[in-house]
Order: sequence, then structure tokens, then C-alpha cells
Amino acid sequence: MTVRPGDAIPSWEIADVSREKMKTMAALLADSNPIHFDLESVRKLGMGNRPINQGPNNLAYLMNMLAVWTGGHEHLRKITVRFRSNVLGDDHVIARGTVTDVRENDGRVLADCEVELLVEGRDTALSGTATVDVTHMTERP
Amino acid sequence: MTEEELGAIVGRPLPGGEYVIEPYVDWLLNDVVGGVVDGHWAHPLFAYMATARGKGVTWDEVFEICGATAADGPMFGEHETELLRPLEVGEKVKVSGRFTSAVRKDGRRTGVFDVIGFEVELRGADGALAARTRNSIVFPRRSAA
Repeated sequence: MTVRPGDAIPSWEIADVSREKMKTMAALLADSNPIHFDLESVRKLGMGNRPINQGPNNLAYLMNMLAVWTGGHEHLRKITVRFRSNVLGDDHVIARGTVTDVRENDGRVLADCEVELLVEGRDTALSGTATVDVTHMTERP
Repeated sequence: MTEEELGAIVGRPLPGGEYVIEPYVDWLLNDVVGGVVDGHWAHPLFAYMATARGKGVTWDEVFEICGATAADGPMFGEHETELLRPLEVGEKVKVSGRFTSAVRKDGRRTGVFDVIGFEVELRGADGALAARTRNSIVFPRRSAA
């Protein structure tokens, strides 16, 4: 297999973003913001009836997509994202990406990619770029 | 916060500290985000975790430095994780950082807001740079409108 510009990265998705796992993440991050776990607070703030997923979780979904494609997290070199909108509890999210360039650097083959996290039926939650080491996925002459 | 006060934030260091990628936290984090536990390589989100937990100040203290509180509705703007090598489960990283940018903007739809950036470096036991994160937070400034 050889990675080429224009290649689509196999998408990665979660059909139902868990409200319960947001509570675990709030504890791991020591993030006291109640919008991630307290529905009463979410309602009082006029933010609807579902908890707001932590932004880092959304970033991790893109990292997971790249890890599945490249065979492991150890191949990620860089990821840059803009947080564009919220992901809510029970949302169906889809991570997807496209290779934009393949280049050599210090004897390694790197793939630059555009990546995004879509919320089905709504909008783009995250968009950005990533660079992964694809040396092991590249056929050498 | 005046624009002069805003500009004075740039260059200010974060206290920093240390962060250990505990195996049980790696397990829990992978469970939360739907990742696969590798056991050797840590999930790359630990660069952010180490930033958040090892920067040496709470988010409320970061907001205070930036002249705001959580009630003002600060939002994550952008994030970058750069890994010079993969992070390992069980390793301890030294965390250091500083504020790198502070820009006031006036959006037609959003009103006045400030975008404040900070950069964090993670170093392994050998002292070599392992990872770097760049982060920006957007602060609505209703009082500056």
C-alpha cells in the first residue's frame, strides 16, 4: 500500500456520544464546568437539554481515526484543530479526513492531512490538519 | 481589561509542574474516547491532559490572569499537539509554559472578544522535548464593547 495525496482516510465514528463518559472525563481533567455533567446547569444556561461534550474528547476522536488508519497512536506527529461548535450527549459524530500531501523528512515519509469531525445532521464540530508518519505504509522502490 | 493590560499577558510564564501518565488513567481515557489501550504508547490526548493538569494553575486562575471568570463564557479557540516522540504509559513529563499571544478583535456578529494563546512544553526524564501544545482561548468582552 502507498499513501497518496487525495486518499480518503477511513472514517471513524461514534453513533451515540455517551453522557456518562463525560462525567469520567470531567474527573480526569479536573474540569469543574457543570455543562459537561449537570443537566440542570445546562438548562439554566439556556444551552438545551443535553450535556456538552468536552472539547478534548472531540479532538481524541480525530486522533483515533488517524491511529486506526496508520496502525497506532505512535505515528501521529502533529494535529492542529479549530473548535467550531459543540458536540452534545447522544450525538452521532463522524471523524473523516483526506491526505493533502506526502513528503519525505529526515528519512521518514510524512502524510499531511485535512481532518474534520462532523455531527450528523448538524454541523462541523472540529476542523484542522494533521501530520502522520506513514513510512511503514509506503512501498519503497 | 484594557488593551495595555491585555498586551502585558504575553510572555508571562505558567508555573508548570509534572504530570504522570498513570496506566489506569490511560485505560479510563481510552474508555471515554473510544480508543484502544496499547499498554506501551499512551493516547496522544495525554499531551493535552498533561497541559491541563500540569500547567500549575487551575482554569479559573488562567481566566483570572486573562481578566475573566468562567461566567464570562470563555471558549477554546484552537489547539495544536506536536509530538516529537510518542508519549509512553507510565512516564513522568515535566510541564512548562507561557502566554504567547493576546489579540483584541471586534466582530460584527460577536462583539468585542480577546483571543489569548499559551504554549506548553512537555519534557521527558532525559530533559529532551517530547511534545508541545499550543492553545488559544476566546474571551467575550462585553464590558469593552
